[in-house]
Amino acid sequence: MAFLKNRALGLVAAILLFCSLLTGLPGEALAQPEASESDVKAAFLYNFTKFVEWPPAAFQDASSSFRLCVLSDEAFSRSLQAVVEGQEVAGRKLTLLRLGSSHDSKSCNLLFIGRPEHERIAEILASMAGSRALVVGESTGFLKQGGMINFHLQGGKVRFEVNLKAAEGEGLKISSKLLRLATRVL
Amino acid sequence: MPLRFLRDAPIRLKLVLLVLLATGGALVVASIVLIIFDFVRFKSDMEKDVTALAEIVARNSTAALSFNDEQAAAETLSGLQAVTSIEAAAVYGRQGELFARFVRPGSAPAIPLRPGEDKATFTEDALVVFRQVVLKGERIGTVYLRNDLREMVGHIKLQAVTVGAVFLLSGVTALLLSSGLQRVISQPILHLADTARSVSDRKDYSIRAEVRSGDELGRLVEAFNEMLMQIQERDSELQRAKGELERRVQERTLELERRNEELHQSNKELDDFAYIASHDLKEPLRGIHNFSTFLLEDYADKLDEDGSAKLETLTRLTRRMETLIDSLLHFSRLGRVDLAIDRVGLNGIVAEVVDSLGINLKEAGVEVRVPRPLPAVRADRARVGEIFHNLIINAMKYNDKAEKWIEIGYQEDRQGAPPVFYVRDNGIGIPEKHFDAVFRIFKRLHGRDKFGGGTGAGLTIVKKIVERHNGRIWVESAHGLGTTFYFTLERGDERK
Repeated sequence: MAFLKNRALGLVAAILLFCSLLTGLPGEALAQPEASESDVKAAFLYNFTKFVEWPPAAFQDASSSFRLCVLSDEAFSRSLQAVVEGQEVAGRKLTLLRLGSSHDSKSCNLLFIGRPEHERIAEILASMAGSRALVVGESTGFLKQGGMINFHLQGGKVRFEVNLKAAEGEGLKISSKLLRLATRVL
Repeated sequence: MPLRFLRDAPIRLKLVLLVLLATGGALVVASIVLIIFDFVRFKSDMEKDVTALAEIVARNSTAALSFNDEQAAAETLSGLQAVTSIEAAAVYGRQGELFARFVRPGSAPAIPLRPGEDKATFTEDALVVFRQVVLKGERIGTVYLRNDLREMVGHIKLQAVTVGAVFLLSGVTALLLSSGLQRVISQPILHLADTARSVSDRKDYSIRAEVRSGDELGRLVEAFNEMLMQIQERDSELQRAKGELERRVQERTLELERRNEELHQSNKELDDFAYIASHDLKEPLRGIHNFSTFLLEDYADKLDEDGSAKLETLTRLTRRMETLIDSLLHFSRLGRVDLAIDRVGLNGIVAEVVDSLGINLKEAGVEVRVPRPLPAVRADRARVGEIFHNLIINAMKYNDKAEKWIEIGYQEDRQGAPPVFYVRDNGIGIPEKHFDAVFRIFKRLHGRDKFGGGTGAGLTIVKKIVERHNGRIWVESAHGLGTTFYFTLERGDERK
């Protein structure tokens, strides 16, 4: 009995995994969360760090902190600050940097390019090549331009799409769990 | 009643029952232990499996929880459709809010609004599991699974059916096997019992039981045969002794019969002799008497006084001798004639005798008393009259008192014993040394002419009559005060 049961269980687990990998999400409208859009995006941004693996080369050494850089407005920076306060990423201290346009963004491990900067996306993305950073945006056509994850609204809910090739090009590994939730994977 | 039935049931049945009960008992214990063990294991397996399933669901729900994707969480839960025992499932968010749910169509369990403690709990009809969802060491939610117990109930039912089938099969097997195998024990016992029965029925101790095994039963049969052998030996010894005894008894009986016959013959000869002798003696005696009478009558003138006196004495002596011979004849006849036994009323007999002796009694001045009526006896009427006649005469004669009396009566010592009759007087008595002599023929204790004379045969005749009636006679006496003669006669049955 137990043997059969175990087999059944294994089968179910396999089915679950299979489903989770292949099932696309139709993305029907759900209740609008109470939190504001920037709060949700801030939380998502931090949560991405849990489903993405950076190559060791992304950090200078073992004690280097994880640099989360933001190119956006003040409000978003405050939301993000509230989320990541005192958090760590893969055992590293998380450092939040709000970049001015002149700042060097190559040392970032995760870069968020907000809508206010959408004019400069191509330029910024070009500068990020080889930086092994996860670049997240919130603009239409962001992925086509070479961005890795792009927020968009679907039925009033914040969803995201992933450019897997771009991420892999920088040596990043994105969890299948994350990919499963993406509205689109390039 | 069942116990009594068991006690009296045949040994074959007992053996079969024994095996069945032992097998059944062992099976029951084994089955109970197995069922309990299986139940416990099944429960723990189920708990482990469902907990593992909850863990899988939890791990697959991390992203959905992280990115607030209820759709994806519900998608994950819907995969549980394949696990038919899962009735319901749910995912709760970080704050315990219900995030996504799954309810199997057709069942309607209430999904808890808030998650419970992380553990597996068996409720009445389900196994409820709460499992935390952890991402990078941080708890981000809870998974809830409700697994119904239908499978367990079904499993228990299947177990019960299996156990029942095993029970039935093994019972039938045990029955078949024990029915066959019980013969090993019951056959020798039944054989022994049959042998014992036929020995006791036929009293044939040469029968032997067959020894079929070398175990205790075999030894029992051997011991039984040994006992039979001993009994047989003793029996044959007993038969021999019995035969010997019978032979001896027969010999003795024959000898006794022979002796008895001889005795009878010699008695008869004696009686015949006495009769013939006395009968033949009478004739010459009568001649002597007649001729001495003739002498006295015809030659009276020629005889002097002395001669006449001597002739008279001769005549008297011949008369006396004739009396003696008559007595002897009478006595010998008593031994020769058959008795006419009948029921005889003694009151009448005694009255007749007293009547016939009336004058003599009156002359002697003797009073005869009969204190109470006498019973009837089985005897020869004439002979019994003789008994009383002789005893009354005897009592009447030997009395020197002024007031003479004779008492006739009887006493009964105990029921069934013949009555003892007595004739008592207040006469001169008999000295004890003569108690036997008085019954001897022609024995007289006194002078020939004293107390009225007599032949001295009376008491002898009485004794002979009593003894011919199978009775006893004896005398008691106090010298000078009186004599009592006792004798027994068989009581005459009233109904005959």
